[in-house]
Amino acid sequence: MTLGSRVRGAAALAVAVAVMAVPAAASATTLFGSGSSAEQPILLVLFKAYNRLHHNTRFNYLPDGGNAGVTDVQAGRRLFSVNTRPPLPSDAGTTYFKLWLDGLCIAVNPSNSVSNLTIAQTKNVFTGVATNWSQGFGSNLTTTIDPFGRNSTAGLYTFFQQSVLGGATQSSNVQQEGSDGLVATAVSKDPNGIGYVGIAHTGKGSGVKTVDVNGIPCNQANIKTENYPLFRYAWGVVPTSHPSVAVEKFFDWVRTSKQAGQIINRGGAVAAFNKK
Amino acid sequence: MNEEYFLEQDRDHEFLEGNRGLSQDQRAELGLGALVFVVVGLLVAMLAFVLHEAWPSFAHNGLRWFGGGGSVDQQIQAIFNSGEYKTAPVYTFHAWPLIWSTILITLGAVAIAFVTSLFVAVFIVEFAPAWLRRILEPVVRLLASVPSVIYGLAGVLVIVPLIGNHLITQSEKASVTPTIQLSGASLLAAVLILTVMIAPIMIAVFADGLQAVPRGWLEGSLALGINEWRTFWKVAVRTARPVLVAGTVLATARALGEAIMVGMVSGGVGFAPNPIDGLVFFFEPSQPLAAAIIRNTEGLSSPPMKHTLYAIAAVLLFSSAMLSVIGWAAKQPMRRYAVVS
Amino acid sequence: MSAVTTAPVRKPDSSSASWRLSDRLGLGLAWLLGLLFCAIAAAIVVYFLVEGIRYLRPSLLVTNPAPAASESQTGGFLDPLLGTLIVGTMAMAIAVPVGVGIAVWLSEFGRPTGLARVAESAVEMLAGEPSIVLALFGTILFTAPALGFLSQTTHGVVLGQSFFAAAALLSLVGLPLVVASTREGLQAIPSHVREASYAVGKTKIATTRRVLLPAARPSMMTGTMLGLGRVISDTAIVLLLLGGTLTFQAANSTPLLGLLRGTADTLTGYIYYNAPTGDGNQPSKAYAAAFVLMLFVLALNLGVDVVLSRKRKAVTWK
Repeated sequence: MTLGSRVRGAAALAVAVAVMAVPAAASATTLFGSGSSAEQPILLVLFKAYNRLHHNTRFNYLPDGGNAGVTDVQAGRRLFSVNTRPPLPSDAGTTYFKLWLDGLCIAVNPSNSVSNLTIAQTKNVFTGVATNWSQGFGSNLTTTIDPFGRNSTAGLYTFFQQSVLGGATQSSNVQQEGSDGLVATAVSKDPNGIGYVGIAHTGKGSGVKTVDVNGIPCNQANIKTENYPLFRYAWGVVPTSHPSVAVEKFFDWVRTSKQAGQIINRGGAVAAFNKK
Repeated sequence: MNEEYFLEQDRDHEFLEGNRGLSQDQRAELGLGALVFVVVGLLVAMLAFVLHEAWPSFAHNGLRWFGGGGSVDQQIQAIFNSGEYKTAPVYTFHAWPLIWSTILITLGAVAIAFVTSLFVAVFIVEFAPAWLRRILEPVVRLLASVPSVIYGLAGVLVIVPLIGNHLITQSEKASVTPTIQLSGASLLAAVLILTVMIAPIMIAVFADGLQAVPRGWLEGSLALGINEWRTFWKVAVRTARPVLVAGTVLATARALGEAIMVGMVSGGVGFAPNPIDGLVFFFEPSQPLAAAIIRNTEGLSSPPMKHTLYAIAAVLLFSSAMLSVIGWAAKQPMRRYAVVS
Repeated sequence: MSAVTTAPVRKPDSSSASWRLSDRLGLGLAWLLGLLFCAIAAAIVVYFLVEGIRYLRPSLLVTNPAPAASESQTGGFLDPLLGTLIVGTMAMAIAVPVGVGIAVWLSEFGRPTGLARVAESAVEMLAGEPSIVLALFGTILFTAPALGFLSQTTHGVVLGQSFFAAAALLSLVGLPLVVASTREGLQAIPSHVREASYAVGKTKIATTRRVLLPAARPSMMTGTMLGLGRVISDTAIVLLLLGGTLTFQAANSTPLLGLLRGTADTLTGYIYYNAPTGDGNQPSKAYAAAFVLMLFVLALNLGVDVVLSRKRKAVTWK
């Protein structure tokens, strides 16, 4: 590039910067949120459907994790966040709304004949007490158990730890994966595998089979009636002082409207409060 | 013709302008120097930022940060929870298993990739038939620019199940459970994927360097009756040694910084693989430093966890800087043989 | 790597049969590894080719992605594809001039030597840093109110996510490769070329611009391709600084600048999200997108080859 073209380039850049500084009239409000990446697929469909009803409202969602989302709301960087764990003392300054139900399923490889596990048995597997499939699980396999789980900072692991492990940490032979999809992939490729995933990652085409927990199958009906022991809520989080009215209206729509309920059910979660 | 015109212009310009202001060269030097200064300033600012955030973790642990002791995964969870539940902040962290895993995976991949890339580069530049060379050159450049997500997916979907289901025997798995799990995501898988990822970079850089060797030197050696293999090896490869060092440094830096894909295939457990375990050593899972950061990004909202993650990042930054110094030191004795002094 | 190479030096009547064993073994190993490399490369390319052809439909390339529950309604990946193009171009548009400038300074000027050493180490330190750390640094930088014009501001809080932010940090990712390759290319030029140029009265900077850089162009091209490869394969910076939104979300309605100040996603992010290992759960589209990405990289490489072979007359001084 010659010097002349460089000068011309710099001048163009200066003009561009000047143009950018002129604010253009916004025709729509964009609501900025962040939070759980596991709930992002459902949220995106909800955003789009809501936008069709209210053309002036758009959404921008950053999936940086449930915990980061709450911090974003507390710091005022985002108007709302979506989380999958109940409120903690450190969440001061925020208000939590229950949005919909979700379940944690125990998944095994389809070639494994295990069909039912108690919570105690699951705890034994994931704390390293039980190490072989022949140890009273009703399985056709006689090989070592290969447990797969989530990393220790993941919300799903915190939930698993509280509701299955009773506060104990998962054993070091549990291979920690970075997402539910990776857990499901690992279990589907390993005949001896067992793992815990959200219900959205089970079903046809996922390559894994779910087992009953305490005799109750992991499906949407049982989660809705809270019969299935491993259910949890997806929460919407807003700041306690001066929450955005637009966000609250959106959360109301998500919780109660029939259309949102259909979207939630089709997305693999379970609508809790929506009208049928 | 063009050259002569500009030649005149340069000289007349200098002559007519006299000693007014700076010469063209001085202006260029100042301009480029300022650019370098700004970029270096930005990088130093980033380093300062990382070190500032990392300081609490180093301060609480001292040199034991780099040592072993305890389970890394449990320490991480304790650190994270102390911030989440707003209890007294916990900073205890002994990162040796992560450091050891990084050393093993990076050095393993670079060693294998170096030997392979050198031979392949020699092959491409000198010994391949013309039709094969025309295929290989674009292929190497293509592979060097393929995004790492492709290699990572191939690793998780193909390599890891292959190793887990076909290479690891049941007795090996039973022998280590429940301490660790041999599922295929292992040292071997990580080294393989990383080698395939960095080899094209090395080949591309090596081939460039080997082609820059003056032909006259090679012809002289051939004229003395030395065969082509020896000629190329003893003359061209020796001459191109600074390029070999530069390419290795680049590839090692890439290997250090590759977080997501290596994390998917390396096993995700803070375990220090033990060479004494024999063959099982290659199948043992571990977690390198960069993967540890990416794995726990969700924990950034917890202040002690944030400081710990930045401390890991500071160690990586420091390692790359050290790598650069080692590369420079390795090139010093080679200056005598360089094409240009 | 240069596209046009001079023919290897080979005596017309030589054969390797007369060589020492170790030399023949060496040659055999070179052949073996060369062909093995071909085989692995072919395996990876063919795997994604087969999977991609199975799932790729032309409609995917021109439809925008849309969030939906069933895979048949989720559209194509036009927006991520354009996102990759835009962010790659912007990042390299910053990285190449800056990188070449730094390489020229290091190679031709390089005083004071202290600054040169620091600059070398700083650039190589950048090469080994995981991009998540760069992304975090970028978040701090671009959420500063002074840089709010480069992204969007809402309720007094600067969002810090836009093409500008992502391109700025991505250029740092590609910079070390451009610098290293260009520097090697410049240093491979024998000193007598420079001396000849000075002898006829050209200034250092003119020599660099008109003699050295054109000769180092193949190395510059290698560095640019390597850097571009690293840039488009990045996910962390794209997520935190580009927003990772499924479609383009412009900041306002100004034609180009609104788009560049808005958020988007890249094809790599789309693949990562929809792969069997991500949350989006649409592996067929991920394979199709991976195939398109490889085609895109291939086309880029071919383009570079064409440009090189047209502009280059075998420059040798040997």
